[in-house]
Amino acid sequence: MIFQGACHCGAIKVSFQTDLAADDIQVRQCQCDFCRRRGGKTVSDPDGRLEVRCPSGAVNHYRFGTGSADFLLCNTCGSFIGATMDIDGELFGVLNVVGADIAPLANRPGQPMDYSAESLADRAGRRRRVWTPTTLVEA
Amino acid sequence: MTEAFTWRAGGCHCGAVRFEAALPEVVEAQSCNCSMCAKVGFVHVITPESRFRLLQGGEALTTYVFNTGTAKHLFCSACGVKSFYRPRSNPDGWSVNARCLDDAESLDIRIEAFDGRNWEANAAALAHLSRDEPEVQS
Repeated sequence: MIFQGACHCGAIKVSFQTDLAADDIQVRQCQCDFCRRRGGKTVSDPDGRLEVRCPSGAVNHYRFGTGSADFLLCNTCGSFIGATMDIDGELFGVLNVVGADIAPLANRPGQPMDYSAESLADRAGRRRRVWTPTTLVEA
Repeated sequence: MTEAFTWRAGGCHCGAVRFEAALPEVVEAQSCNCSMCAKVGFVHVITPESRFRLLQGGEALTTYVFNTGTAKHLFCSACGVKSFYRPRSNPDGWSVNARCLDDAESLDIRIEAFDGRNWEANAAALAHLSRDEPEVQS
């Protein structure tokens, strides 16, 4: 199955490919102070593919906290599309189904997640196991 | 009867943008399902002009407009967070994002659904929220 979405102004387009059925995809609601402000709900599939495409300069790579992930924000409309992390030269990511307006997933209740006690190594390990192999094209 | 208001601060994630809004004890809020609010996760607390103050960060704000261009969607150019904006339903006031109030969990915020997908039929119900009565002493 391929879920497609975009930010509000359409500059950033996403495509999430997964063999999971929509109801089997875990929808997570991180409780950090960024995600709570954004009302974000994220999904991923380590056996899937996430592709993010936008014109050059369209994305703000926002970092905070440990600075280990890039939070992808549209410079034009402010939408929060997802986050990526480079782990040993490979890019992994999560998709914010609220920001990308993927209704079948965004309308499901999110499972509250609290990662605040994680060490940086544990965080990278979890993202490596859980996040989706990702391609980010800015051109 | 005069309603009591308390100035509550809030802001974006990175701290560049800070505001204050004078809010009643029980804060009425709307969760809107329109294409913009749903995507941004904006929870509206609409205030009159007199009950809103921008404390800092005006220069950090990016403005996004679409459709009729009446609403001025403002987000922080550093962290992307939309902590308040000028709403189309209440262009004489402001809409503060309940999610961006400091210690939002400690406030009595009562969120109701607003059907912004049928905006023309429903927006008039919000007009009173930016009217300047009763007066607030600052």
